[in-house]
Amino acid sequence: MGKTTIEKIISRASGKDVKPGDRVWCDIDISSARDFAGPNCCLQFEEVTEGRGKVWDPDKIAFTFDLQAPSHTEKVSNNQKIIREFAKQQGIEKVFDINWGIGQHVMLENGVVKPGHVVLGTDSHMNLLGGAGIFATGVGNTDIVASWILGKLWFRVPETDRITVTGEFQTGVCMRDFLTFLVGNLKADGLLYKAAEFYGPVIERSSLAERITLCSMITEMSGKIGLIQPNGEVLQWLVERGGEDVRESVEFMKADKDAIYCEDLHFDVSDLEPLVSAPHAPDNVKKVSEVAGTKLDQVHIGSCTNGRFEDITAAFNVLKAADFKINPMTRCIITPATREVMSQCAKAGYIEKFIDAGIVFTNPTCSLCTAQHYGALPSDDVGMSTTNRNFLGKVGKGSSTFLASPMTAMASAVRGMITDPRDILG
Amino acid sequence: MGSSIIKGRAWVFGDDVDTDLIYHNKYLAVTDPAEMPQYAFEYYPGKENFAREVQNGDVVVAGTNFGCGSSREHAVYCLKEGGIPVVLAESFSRIYYRNAVNNGYPVLVAPGISSKFKDGDEIEVNLDTGEITNLKSGEKIHGDAVTDLEKEIMAHGGLLQYIKAHAGKE
Repeated sequence: MGKTTIEKIISRASGKDVKPGDRVWCDIDISSARDFAGPNCCLQFEEVTEGRGKVWDPDKIAFTFDLQAPSHTEKVSNNQKIIREFAKQQGIEKVFDINWGIGQHVMLENGVVKPGHVVLGTDSHMNLLGGAGIFATGVGNTDIVASWILGKLWFRVPETDRITVTGEFQTGVCMRDFLTFLVGNLKADGLLYKAAEFYGPVIERSSLAERITLCSMITEMSGKIGLIQPNGEVLQWLVERGGEDVRESVEFMKADKDAIYCEDLHFDVSDLEPLVSAPHAPDNVKKVSEVAGTKLDQVHIGSCTNGRFEDITAAFNVLKAADFKINPMTRCIITPATREVMSQCAKAGYIEKFIDAGIVFTNPTCSLCTAQHYGALPSDDVGMSTTNRNFLGKVGKGSSTFLASPMTAMASAVRGMITDPRDILG
Repeated sequence: MGSSIIKGRAWVFGDDVDTDLIYHNKYLAVTDPAEMPQYAFEYYPGKENFAREVQNGDVVVAGTNFGCGSSREHAVYCLKEGGIPVVLAESFSRIYYRNAVNNGYPVLVAPGISSKFKDGDEIEVNLDTGEITNLKSGEKIHGDAVTDLEKEIMAHGGLLQYIKAHAGKE
């Protein structure tokens, strides 16, 4: 019987011939933790091993500081210190401190994680790495501690849906809009316990940034992972970062022609319009035209979903079409995903233009994913963000957030109200 | 697994209860599980007083996809350490379910449960058989406990205890 991509990756990592529903122990390639939950992992590891334990392989453990970087409270600073000291004591060298950016992106850019890998992290959006053909999953601290002891972790092999995407995006419409459509279509539990594989011409010609966007909200459908077979320029980029052995892994993970899929879904993006996730759920999807004119107090562009150079470029182009002016009554914050992205923005001349327009351009970090960061919304404020969740009260009690693409977000910052980017791009 | 018959009052929640509603990101920097129960459901509209009013043995009843969102294990600890013996839901979000199993914390999938209970109804749960009874209405419903490897992990009290027991045998 043929295998899907996730079945191939798990079979290799477990040494077992797996099928959906099986429980197996997989060898872990990278087990990472962030400044959030990372300290809990370190303390729990020391408690369980009574302070005498050594991790299974310090080269396969990484720490990233992204949720609250730089730290803004003494408590968080002390938590971050717990990680630094643990890493030193255990000989863990892959520590990406507060100056690096969002963990998954940083590890991908630096070749720490590669196609075919099994990767863990204390971030429910670890699985955006599926956009690069990596089986990464967000877990709690107990799973991380178990993996640090054993070098393995248990998994239930998921069933896989095959999603084929055809057509061409209209001007002003992008992969984020398709993702929003998908979440609205499949709903919050539409991929419960499942994996997805994406195929079709829209996927094959997409950039790495678009693939990351698409795979970053599988969690918002309660799925395990969305996987895309690296090809073309994306494959070339991954080889440059991860080495020549990436090609072999990419070849290996290709799903068999007779692989068995749970469902086969087809979507055409040609008629897609700009969409938003309205308050207070990612699957509460509306057309921008249905909510256009809603006044916005704040617009935020960034996050692990839409914080790459291509995303910021898309926003920049909308701002450019509006003569580099935003509505002075709307606060606008842009946060690059990593320092590499920040550097790209600097070289492209974006940052100066953003600053002149009155936009706050920040250091790379997760930023407005929680209320524990700059940009937290006060009660009754309405915000728009390119992050992946708009749960009730998530970025401030009593506030509301619309989720949208970088183009829609910038168009809305320009007018101070929810705006279809096509009104500005023409 | 100790006493397998649970009796308490039901606290009823809706569908897609996310981890920010269970345990808000405002308190993520907390590292001691014993400190977490005081923040449970603080952001859930109408249940803001949960942490103050809940009694030992009370049970959380929810709709579909309970625990969606973040991977924070705080969302399990804040109930487990708070004396909630079990969570019953139409379905659980993947990461929450896993975190519960890894902590030996009973979660039962009970299709149809959210329409059978109102806040404050007396509830009886038999963790061995999965039988759930509304002592007020007399209605019974069946909940599925975990199976396979998850059951073994639960039987040891959690993943780290399971690993200890199997040290050297893997």
